[in-house]
Amino acid sequence: MNMRKTTIAVLFILATMVALQVACRKADSISPDDNPDNEWLSGGSQTAFDQGSGAFSHAFSSLPANLLRVHEIGDGQFNATFVSAPAPLNPGLGPIFNNVSCGSCHVSDGRGKVPGLGESAANMLFRLSIPGEGEHGNPVPVPGYGDQLQTRALLNTQREGDVLITYTDNTYKFADGTSYSLRTPTYTFTALYTTMPGNVMLSPRVAAPVFGLGLLEAISDADILAGTDPDDKDGDGISGKANMVWDVLKNKKVLGRFGWKANQPNLLQQVGAAYNGDIGITNMLFPKESSEGQTQFDSDPNSTSYELTDSLLYSVQFYVRTLAVPVRRNATAANVVQGKSLFTSAGCIKCHKADVRTGVDVSLPQVSNQLIHPYTDLLLHDLGAGLADNRPDFLASGTEWRTAPLWGIGLTQKVNGHTNFLHDGRARNLMEAIMWHGGEALSAKNKVNNMSKTERDALIAFVESL
Amino acid sequence: MNTSIKKSLALVLPLSMLGLSCSKNNTDNNSNNSTLKTEVLANIATNVCTASYEDMYAKALELQTAVTTLIATPTDANLATAQAKWRAMRVTWEQSEAWLFGPVESEDIDPRIDTWPVDFNSLNDILSSSNKLDEAFIDNLADNDIQNALKGFHPIEYLLWGQNGAKKAADLKPRETEYLTGLTQNLVKLSKEARDQWTGGYKDQLTKAGNGSTEFATQQLAYIQIADAMAGIAEEVSGSKMLEPFEAKNPALEESPFAKNSIADFTNNIQGILAIYQGNFIVDGKGIEDVVRANNLSLDAEIKSKHAAAIAALKAIDKPFGEAIISEPAKVQNAIDKVGELATVIDEKLKPFLTQYTK
Repeated sequence: MNMRKTTIAVLFILATMVALQVACRKADSISPDDNPDNEWLSGGSQTAFDQGSGAFSHAFSSLPANLLRVHEIGDGQFNATFVSAPAPLNPGLGPIFNNVSCGSCHVSDGRGKVPGLGESAANMLFRLSIPGEGEHGNPVPVPGYGDQLQTRALLNTQREGDVLITYTDNTYKFADGTSYSLRTPTYTFTALYTTMPGNVMLSPRVAAPVFGLGLLEAISDADILAGTDPDDKDGDGISGKANMVWDVLKNKKVLGRFGWKANQPNLLQQVGAAYNGDIGITNMLFPKESSEGQTQFDSDPNSTSYELTDSLLYSVQFYVRTLAVPVRRNATAANVVQGKSLFTSAGCIKCHKADVRTGVDVSLPQVSNQLIHPYTDLLLHDLGAGLADNRPDFLASGTEWRTAPLWGIGLTQKVNGHTNFLHDGRARNLMEAIMWHGGEALSAKNKVNNMSKTERDALIAFVESL
Repeated sequence: MNTSIKKSLALVLPLSMLGLSCSKNNTDNNSNNSTLKTEVLANIATNVCTASYEDMYAKALELQTAVTTLIATPTDANLATAQAKWRAMRVTWEQSEAWLFGPVESEDIDPRIDTWPVDFNSLNDILSSSNKLDEAFIDNLADNDIQNALKGFHPIEYLLWGQNGAKKAADLKPRETEYLTGLTQNLVKLSKEARDQWTGGYKDQLTKAGNGSTEFATQQLAYIQIADAMAGIAEEVSGSKMLEPFEAKNPALEESPFAKNSIADFTNNIQGILAIYQGNFIVDGKGIEDVVRANNLSLDAEIKSKHAAAIAALKAIDKPFGEAIISEPAKVQNAIDKVGELATVIDEKLKPFLTQYTK
């Protein structure tokens, strides 16, 4: 994009933001010179100006027509409902699965909702493993179940089982005496089709939003690794660690960055694994049904064909790669500005890093060299025993989680109709999510605990503006 | 329709939009216009959106009556009546897809009414099983490990028309009629749910945008949501519902293949856009057009002209969609293009207009 076009695009963007946000009041802190590196533009040039229920579903703004078409094809595939084979359209569902389309869990490209009491999870899944490390350092699959519990199956086929979720509420007090409560989930297997070993490890994983992922993928390995400090050599209490995970195409260990424990190295593998594990759709990366070796398996074990064509797999990868990030809201409001300063002084910013510039990718200029504000360092951090899943995943220990990106989080209610946060959706609002932070984040959490109500409200207002 | 595509077209606007600045005519402080904007939202909420779900509920009941009659007296005439009632209900549903926000999305009603494709194998398995096929069974289908592909419009369509569309009343088997009864009952229940959600609160949420609504903190958010829904359905028709079967030259990919109702579906989708634009679903009242006309007559004319061209292009297709994609490619391409142009004018002109003139 040459400078003149940049200026025009910038003026348009700023004019629109002004019109959208500030009525007739001039926003002094936004200047035309701030250009796409402006903090309102969480996704840099790939920021979408939408605060409605479709905020997570916009394509990058500057895709040429041929690539926009690929995005559209991928969009159609992302929302395609799979049915059992044979069928003229979308065959191949199952035989065991968690849901029937990507969009059924990643509703409106957003965050999954936790089931109500007694309901079966529709937007979350449960990872399983038994102790030990597999051939590539991976979690050891559970005999008879694999590394994921498929809670649904085709008619006349038995599902693997289900999980009952119950909660225990505990009340606590902030330093100023105001109380708050946190609910701790308990997971109980039900309807298991065969014996589950007693040493099974279970990790609940809510469906994560799928926007902005192409930008995260474009951050260089070096930039992510530069933030690691696993032995806390600088003594700041933060010890971010990289997860090194198995890349099935490259056949080696590489840096992981996607997933609640950063166990997936790139979007193609994330998408392929999800197709296979969550919907039962085999593909070039994962050509074997997850049910192979189990009683539910209904295909030919000697078959070398798979259900999803390569081009459609790539189209879905491209779709999630090119979903834009929603613009910030109210970034200059006084309480939001105060909240941002508290976010920094409390130390949240040490892991939820605000600014990072993506690397250059000549094959997709749209993701290149963007100053983005995802509020994550994409590293693993120990968050304490309270929040642990106690299930290691490659180099991630049972108490470690990848810093979750906070961009777009304030739109969760609007887009997905709920405010369930953290890996298992236990937090019913942002403040609960904050108060669950322990381990490396304990000192930051304690600072929040000691804040006045005004300060706490400002902090939340800031996070909601992201 | 369970698929949803929100394509964001280029954000690079014509240079004329650079005139936008704070000190000029950014928001309209004219109190008459403010009243107008409230009236428009009120009319749309009540007489377009809520009215459409009332209408759909009424039509669901008629479909149910027709199916009951058909099952009691299985004649071809009664089958034709039931089929006609299905088509009639589709008219309303497809129009309402131009305002596919609110409860039908957030309460998951859309996937339970309009998922496709039908899962034939599972459907046949259910019919051969010994399950009691009542409404409770169907409502619980998601929990019984079968999905939304076995309820709503399209399984009913499949049972009323058969895979090749040539079903006769004599072909109806007892298990099919049992399932059909449960399906129509479930459809009635879902329509009532959509209607109740609107009358029970969402109508007020939209009407009171910017004035106490928790869903829409400002009127502008409501207007933009409506414009997004209008553009969204046009983009979906042009870029997906029509384009994908057309590019693949594959009739199996069309949305209502058994009743060959796809062209009617697309046309009603586009009709819905005009209905909400004009505030005219059954009764004509204030609509978005009144807000547009207050400040830009030529934009209003352009939107209407693009809309008329899209409708005309769809009406020019005189074969069922599955055949037309093979034998009338020029007409199908023309319709895809014209509907796409309508999407563009809404996304690139109506939305910025509403951003400028509402607050």
